[in-house]
Amino acid sequence: MSEVLRGRAWVFGDDVDTDLIYHNKYLAETDPKNMPQYAFEYFPGKEHFAKEVKPGDFVVAGKNFGCGSSREHAVYCIEYAGVPVVLAETCSRIYYRNAINNGYPVLFIKGISDAIKAGKIKDGDELEVSLDTGNIKDLTTGAEFHGDAVSDLEKDIMSAGGLIEYLKEQAAKK
Amino acid sequence: MGKTFAEKALGRAAGQDVVANQVVTVEPDWCMSHDNAAPIARTFKKIGVKNVWKPERIVFILDHAIPAPSSDHAVNHKEVREFSAEQGIKNFYDVMSDGGVCHQKMCEEGYALPGLIMVGSDSHTCTYGAYGAFSTGIGRSEMAAAWATGSIWFKVPESMKVVVTGKFKPGVTAKDFILKFIGDVKADGADYMSVEFHGEGIENMSIAERMTLCNMGIEFGAKNAVCKPDQKVLDAIKDNAKCDRWEPLWADDDAVYAAEYHYDLGDIVPGVAKPHKVDNYATVAEVKGTPIHEAFLGSCTNGRIEDLREAASLLKGKKIAIRTVVIPASWKVYRQAMKEGLIDIFLDSGCVICNPGCGPCMGNHEGILAPGEAAISTANRNFKGRMGDKESFIYLASPLTVAASALKGEITDPREVL
Amino acid sequence: MGKTSIVKIMERASGKPVKVGDRVWCNIDWSTARDFGGANCVLQFEKEMGMEAKVWDPDKIAFTFDLQAPAHSEKVAVNQKIIRDFAKRQGIKRVFDINHGIGQHVMLEAGMIKPGDVVLGTDSHMNLLGAVGSFATGVGNSDIAASWINGTNWFRVPETMKIEVTGKFQKGVTMRDLLTKIVGDLGAGGMDFLAVEFTGETIENATLAERITLCSMVTEMSGKVPLIMPNGEVLKWMVERAGPVVAERAKEFAADPDAEYITVLKYDVTNLEPLASCPDAPDNVKPVREIAGTYVDQIHIGSCSNGRFEDIEAAFEVFKAAGCKVNPNVRVIITPSTREVQIQATKAGMVEKFLEAGVVFTNPTCSLCTAEHYGVLPSGDVGCSTTNRNFIGKVGKGSHTYLMSPMSAMATAVKGVITDPRDILG
Repeated sequence: MSEVLRGRAWVFGDDVDTDLIYHNKYLAETDPKNMPQYAFEYFPGKEHFAKEVKPGDFVVAGKNFGCGSSREHAVYCIEYAGVPVVLAETCSRIYYRNAINNGYPVLFIKGISDAIKAGKIKDGDELEVSLDTGNIKDLTTGAEFHGDAVSDLEKDIMSAGGLIEYLKEQAAKK
Repeated sequence: MGKTFAEKALGRAAGQDVVANQVVTVEPDWCMSHDNAAPIARTFKKIGVKNVWKPERIVFILDHAIPAPSSDHAVNHKEVREFSAEQGIKNFYDVMSDGGVCHQKMCEEGYALPGLIMVGSDSHTCTYGAYGAFSTGIGRSEMAAAWATGSIWFKVPESMKVVVTGKFKPGVTAKDFILKFIGDVKADGADYMSVEFHGEGIENMSIAERMTLCNMGIEFGAKNAVCKPDQKVLDAIKDNAKCDRWEPLWADDDAVYAAEYHYDLGDIVPGVAKPHKVDNYATVAEVKGTPIHEAFLGSCTNGRIEDLREAASLLKGKKIAIRTVVIPASWKVYRQAMKEGLIDIFLDSGCVICNPGCGPCMGNHEGILAPGEAAISTANRNFKGRMGDKESFIYLASPLTVAASALKGEITDPREVL
Repeated sequence: MGKTSIVKIMERASGKPVKVGDRVWCNIDWSTARDFGGANCVLQFEKEMGMEAKVWDPDKIAFTFDLQAPAHSEKVAVNQKIIRDFAKRQGIKRVFDINHGIGQHVMLEAGMIKPGDVVLGTDSHMNLLGAVGSFATGVGNSDIAASWINGTNWFRVPETMKIEVTGKFQKGVTMRDLLTKIVGDLGAGGMDFLAVEFTGETIENATLAERITLCSMVTEMSGKVPLIMPNGEVLKWMVERAGPVVAERAKEFAADPDAEYITVLKYDVTNLEPLASCPDAPDNVKPVREIAGTYVDQIHIGSCSNGRFEDIEAAFEVFKAAGCKVNPNVRVIITPSTREVQIQATKAGMVEKFLEAGVVFTNPTCSLCTAEHYGVLPSGDVGCSTTNRNFIGKVGKGSHTYLMSPMSAMATAVKGVITDPRDILG
């Protein structure tokens, strides 16, 4: 996780719920690869996300991202769209677990909720993100942000590639 | 030379003497539409006529997917609500609990009456022949045109006479007879024809049983199917006829028929229609033991109180072995079933009682089948994929056979359980 | 210093002393999945572990069908079949098929849940089982599939918030109104990752249905788990269903008197009034009185929050006071949470009265709350519901929903516009 990533920002506000990320209409889907086409379909003003998102783009959000349902679809539809990381002030606990359990990074970024409200980070801004240090630079506005460190257990699960892989590794060690 | 029922009914409506194969234009007594009133309304608006010809002759009954199980259905229903308000169509049965399956409602609300010309944008509109009406299903464009003009053309059909004598043995019902009949005459056996059911066998049947017969007329190609409007019918409509335009009509004894069949009900045994055709008849004895995943009791064919009573008589005090969906044909039937304690029997035996409507019959909701699954159903069609996946299987049977099979998890002869 | 309930529960589950902030591996008592997410769990488990792999303990796994029961689409039908087939292969006997009802409620009625149990489920409102003192939590399919490997999963030992409730509700005011009040006060992030113990005389006297309601929206405040230890009538009910061990467990996992809490909040319900969550967020709370007269198109009473017999009974009380009639311009849908509730309501004669008035009474399911099911709203329609989420577009694009108690919802059904139930009850 030492690389520095560059990409465009898709910016969302606080309390983005799981129906806005991935609507209940499509819950019967079981193949993660089919999920990106429905991402943010119900989010007013972001209906075009699924069509226009490019691999390498970032999802940037305020507080409590992914609140609501336990559906893991809400992680897959972003992960499988090629978004390398979700950057949020905080996210719901189930959403966080679901991301970690898939080895998918969510970085908690201090102050980003206010920065979004103040327009210091906007849709289409070019970002530079270091997954290693959690440092983020908005190359368009010049704003800088810093992410929280992740706990050791979550790091271990992440680096194993997800919870199931981690458990397999642990079993192999025994 | 005498006249058939169709010649009399269409002649009365056209105000002239008519014979088979003549084309007539008539004013329909009722135009019934269900959820598809929404697309019909869209077509109607394209015609350029501002108002429907007679709003009081139009009936809307939401039943195909109620309450709305998806956004598309929800939007559709809303269009029907708006159109009926805009056009002053007061005969509107929304998703609330005064509704039910459209054909059941048309009969129990007193729209289905002897001698009337009734069209519906649903193929099972032929059900109302049980009340002596000339009723038939039409397409959406034709319905839009009927709303606009108040007229519709028919070629006076040739007629088929089915003479039924004798009595059912225990465990055998009208559904078993009609499945056997369709198996004999095949799916196109009465194409374009008016089918008349005659004889003491029919006279002894309840109106509910006659509805089951007429309902399945379309499954052997009939334009309409009809039974003689006898005293039972007159008693039933006495207090709730929705109009006074009706008149009991029946064929003359010396009428001319294109085909004639004779059946003794005493010869009928429990039967099924095997996948994937309604005319793919087998006796229950022949398919006994076939594994089943879902049982469905309901629909415009067999969702009436008489059907629920029969099924409940087998389920009482016993537990079902497979998932069993019970859908009364209307809320009126549901309430009657509740009063009689039938709902308790179904719940105690482990059935799901869904709100009245068409349910899974045409694959909309409430019990869709997965690949490889088989259902036994009291509905009227077992076409490939009708209730879900194209690799699923539907056996059509009577309420008794469905209930017996639900108890065993495989196709079962109800006479073994009785 | 004393321990909170969640610390005690996690110590039992992990088999070692724990402290707040630790990441601990807990033994799972129940790892459950619904027809929502369940097929994803099965497919993931089989993909990762192989088709021959066995789950750690088939007697600790359960499946419930409530998302779309009976199935509304081929995809759901297939998902349900995937679950049934897997259960058969794995020897999992507890499959609560389409004829049972909402998962947590069904498992509770089946006597499966005890205080101190660790319960996972693919339902973000799984944690309402904290209403009987279990640590239940909603998770995604990876967590479930992983737990099937060896029966464990990791959790962070959370800090605990305590909410003490005193006073008696006035007529027309219910536990749902207290819950709405708390959601409004604390907001969507107000219980971030916390365990929450509800205590006080109002809670001790509350029915099981009321406790379930109160616990059902902790998720909407980002809480981890609510906890109430069974006592009185609730304990009796639990002992009848789950055995005498419930009584021992209720004692064992009760918080110590000197336990440490991150926050203690106090609520007195004496002067509480009917409240509603207005569109489009649960924490957008206003008094029902203030929004009275707002036109609605559809009323829905049910869900894991308010679908118990007592909830239907409360609605019936208002309905009866109004002469057993609802306004003909609105669609009213009542969905019991389980078949047991459906049978109770039927035998009590309430269903018959509802049906006579035009109310639609459905089979037990999550109904329109989770996914496309009975009563999806068209664009522009306004709904009124006793469910727990009113996020924008949740029950239909372009629609909006007010959340409120069964009494307020029924008062609204009676008048056709949002109505304070006290105006009908007098």
